[in-house]
Amino acid sequence: MSIRSQLLIIALTTLLLPWAGCQYARELESTLRVSQENSLQAAAATMANALSAQPTRVFNENEAGGPFDANDGDRYAVALPNQPLLDGYREDWNVAIEPTSLVPAPFGARLQLGLTERFLFFFLEVDDPKFDPEPADVHLAQDHFDRVTLTFRWTDGAIQSYFFATSAPGLIEAQSILPGEDGSDHATPEPRIQAYWRQSTAGYRLEGRVPRALVGSRLWVEVVDGASGRSAGFTAAAANRGGRLFFATPGLDELLATFISPGTRATVVDANDLKLGVAGALSGSAVDADDGATWYRRFMADDTARWPLQITAPDHVEGHSVTTALDGHATAEWLRGSHREPILVAAAPITIEGRTRGAVVLEQAGDQLLDLRDRALNRLLNLTLLASALAAAVAFGVATWISIRIGRLRLAAESAIGSDGSIRLDMPGSSGADEIGALSRGFERLLSRLDEHSRYLRTLGGKLSHELRTPLTIVRSSLDNLESEGIRADQRGYLTRAREGVLRLQSILSALGAASRVEESIKQAESVSFDLKALLESAIAAYRDGFRAVRFEFHAPDDACFARGAPELIVQMLDKLIENAVDFCPSGGKIGVALIRGGGHYELSVQNDGPPIPPGMLDRLFESLFEQRSGHDDRPHFGLGLYIVRLIAEFHGGNARAANRTDGGGAIFTVTLPLI
Amino acid sequence: MRKQIAIVEDEPALRENYSAALARLGYQVKTYGNRRAALQAFEVHLPDLAIIDIALEDEAEGGFDLCRALRAQSAELPIIFLTARDSELDAVSGLRLGADDFLTKDVSLVHLAARVAALFRRVDALRRPDHAGQVLQRGALAVDTEKMQTTWNGHAVTLSLTEFWIVHALARNPGHVKNRQQLMDAANVVLDDNTVTSHVKRLRRKFLEVDSTFDAIQTVYGMGYRWLE
Repeated sequence: MSIRSQLLIIALTTLLLPWAGCQYARELESTLRVSQENSLQAAAATMANALSAQPTRVFNENEAGGPFDANDGDRYAVALPNQPLLDGYREDWNVAIEPTSLVPAPFGARLQLGLTERFLFFFLEVDDPKFDPEPADVHLAQDHFDRVTLTFRWTDGAIQSYFFATSAPGLIEAQSILPGEDGSDHATPEPRIQAYWRQSTAGYRLEGRVPRALVGSRLWVEVVDGASGRSAGFTAAAANRGGRLFFATPGLDELLATFISPGTRATVVDANDLKLGVAGALSGSAVDADDGATWYRRFMADDTARWPLQITAPDHVEGHSVTTALDGHATAEWLRGSHREPILVAAAPITIEGRTRGAVVLEQAGDQLLDLRDRALNRLLNLTLLASALAAAVAFGVATWISIRIGRLRLAAESAIGSDGSIRLDMPGSSGADEIGALSRGFERLLSRLDEHSRYLRTLGGKLSHELRTPLTIVRSSLDNLESEGIRADQRGYLTRAREGVLRLQSILSALGAASRVEESIKQAESVSFDLKALLESAIAAYRDGFRAVRFEFHAPDDACFARGAPELIVQMLDKLIENAVDFCPSGGKIGVALIRGGGHYELSVQNDGPPIPPGMLDRLFESLFEQRSGHDDRPHFGLGLYIVRLIAEFHGGNARAANRTDGGGAIFTVTLPLI
Repeated sequence: MRKQIAIVEDEPALRENYSAALARLGYQVKTYGNRRAALQAFEVHLPDLAIIDIALEDEAEGGFDLCRALRAQSAELPIIFLTARDSELDAVSGLRLGADDFLTKDVSLVHLAARVAALFRRVDALRRPDHAGQVLQRGALAVDTEKMQTTWNGHAVTLSLTEFWIVHALARNPGHVKNRQQLMDAANVVLDDNTVTSHVKRLRRKFLEVDSTFDAIQTVYGMGYRWLE
C-alpha cells in the first residue's frame, strides 16, 4: 500500500468526529425529548386536576351513564367548525368520518350528527329510490309516505317528536307531532326546525338543523319507507333506552384555551373517549422531514418511522396514551404526524370522586426539538465534514509530496550508477531538513564513497604499473650486468628464465597502465579533421595481415566520411574493438566492420561470429576493470580494453554500447561519433 | 683518456647497475644521488656526458633544473634523460632543455650503452668541423649520420637521438612503411606503440617549426609510418 493511501486512510479516521458529534446530538435530543415529555405530562396532569375541580364545566349534564354504545343508538355529535348550508350535501361539514348506519336497519340509512354553537345538524342518507310524497291532508296513522322522525327526550322525561316529509323535495320545515284532541296524532309545522330534502336516483338525503334549545339529551331517529311501510332506526316508543346524545361541552373550548400555551393542542375526552372540548392548534412546521437538507437524519438520528402514526378523528382521540389515561394513568408518547413530523402526546386522567371521568390529552409538535437538533447536527456535520475533508486533503497533499520526493530519490538512486559505470553524486532533495533529506544526504555520502572507491580502482592500474616499474628496472639491469659479468654455461638457464619472467611482468604492467596512458594521450590529443573511411580502410588492411585466422568485411558510405578528432586515438579504439572481436571470434569466422552515417553522427560497429554476451553484462562491459572472459590465452586481461574504447568515444563526444546480434550469432559493438 | 660519465639517479640499485655496466665498457663513471651533490661536483669538473633522472629524491623535476644548470656551463655537453614515466617525455620536449636524448628506464643496458657511444660519436664528429660526414639527402631533408644532425631546407632541426634514428630509418627507404617495431629497433629502444606515436608526433612538430607545410611523414593507420618525398 502506498504512503498516499496509508495517510489517506489515517485522514479518513477524522470522520469519527462527525460520528461522535451525531452520537452527542442524539443523546442531547433524547434528553431534551424526555424533558419535553415530562413537562407536557406535568402540564396535562395540572390541567386534569384543574378540570376535575369544576366538573360542571367539563361534562354535560345529560344522562351519560354507562358506556357509549352505538348499537344502542348512542350518537356523538361532532363539533362543526363552520355552520353548513342546508343543501343536502355534506361536503361543507368538513368532517372526516362517514355517516354511520342506523340500527336496526333493514335498508340502507346512515346518519351523522354535527353540533355548532346554535344548532344540532343532522345528515341522513336513505337508500330508497322510490319517492313516496306526502299527501296533501296527512293522516299520520293511515297515510303511507316516506318520512323521517326525530324524537327527543329530556332528562326530565319529556318527549317531543318531529317528522320530515314532503311532496316536493327541497327546503322543508319539520312538523311536530302533537297528540290531538281526538287521541290521534296530528302534525303541526315547526318552522324552527328546517331541513333540505334532496332526491336522487339512489335515494334521498336529508340535511337539517335543530336549534340547541329544542334538543334533548336523547335522540331517536326513525326512517319510514312509505311504499313498504318498513322502518329503520329506533323510535322512542320501541325502546325507552339508548339514543343518548353525546357532544362537546359548551364553553369547554374557551376554558381549555385559558390553560394551554401556543403550539399546543388540548383535548378533553370523556370516559368513552369522546371529545368534550378542543383548544389550540399544533404549530407543526410544514417542512417535510424527507427534505434533502436533513438527509443524514435517516442514518444518523433516531428513525421516527417506528413511531405510530397520529390519527385525528373528529369525535374521539385515538392512541395508546388516551387509553392508558382513561385507565387512570398519566402517560406520554411520541407520534408522527402526516408529514412525519414528530408529535408529543401526553394524557392525564380526570378523576372525580375516585372515578375516572375523562382525560386531558395534550399534543405538542416535537419540531422545535428536531429543528434544534437538526440545526446543531447540521452545523456540526458541516464543520466536522469540512474539517475531515481538509484533513484528508492536507494528508493527501503531504503524502503526495512525500511520495513524489521518495519517488524522485528512488529514480535518482536507481540511475545514480550509469550504464558506463560513472556515478552521479547529487541526489534530489538533499537540502531537505527532514528524514527524506537525511536519506538523500546518506545516499550522497554512500555514492561519493563508492565514487572514490571506483576512481581508486580506475587509477590503481596506472599507479601499480608506475610503482612497479622502478623495481622491475632494477631487476632487469641487474640481470643485464650479471650477463655481462659472464656466467657459467650451466647458470645461463636461470638467467634466461629470469629474463622471461621480467618480460612477462613488463607486459602485465604495460597492460595495467594502458588505460592511464590513454587518459594521458587524451589530455594531450589534438583534434584534426580526417577521413574516417580512409582511416578504417587502411587500418582494416593491416588487421587482415595481422589476424589471418578470421575474415574481415568492411562496409562504409561511398564518399569520404570526414570526422574531427584524434585519428591515432580512433585507431587505438579500433585496435581494442578488433582485438576483442578476434578474441571471441571462432577460427574462420567473420568480423564485420561497418560505418554508417546518419542522424548527426557516425555509427561505427564491429561485430563478430562469437558467442552472444549474457544480457546482464551488456551494460557493464564498458566499465573499468570489468572482465567476464575466462582466461584462455596467455595475454593478461584486466578488463580495460572496452573501457579504453569508451574513453576514446567519449573524448570524441560519442558513446559506446554493446548488443547481441538479433540472429543470436554473436555480439555487436557500436560506437557513435559526431559528424563534424 | 677515458671518457667520464656522470650518473645522477636517486635509486641506489639502479645507479650502481648503470655505473657497473658503463664502467665495464671502459668509461669512468661518477654517480650522484641528488641534484645538490651533482651540482657541486659539476662546478668543479664537468663530465663528458651526463645521464640524469628527472625525479630526484624529493624534487619531482630536479633533473630538469640540473640540466638547465649544466647547459649554462656547457652548450655541447651531451645529456641523456632517464624517466620513469612516458608522460615525462612530453614534458622534456615541451621544456626544450636541450637534452640530447631521453629514455625510459625500461631501456636495456645494451641499448643505453649504444646511446652513450652514439652521443660520443656525435660529439667527436662535431669537433672535426672539416670532416665531411656521410649525408643522406632526401629532397629538402639532409641527414648527417656522422654528426647525427638533420637539416630541412638548410635549417637545422634539433632532434633527440631517438628522433634522429626514427627519421633516419624512415628517410633511408622513402615510400616504405616502417612499422613501430622496426622504428624501435632502428632507434635502439624498447617502447610501446603509444610512445612511438608520440615520438612521431613530436618529430612532425619539430619539422613544422621550420616549415609549416611539412607533411613528409605519413601515418599508415594500423601499420606504421612512411617517408614521402
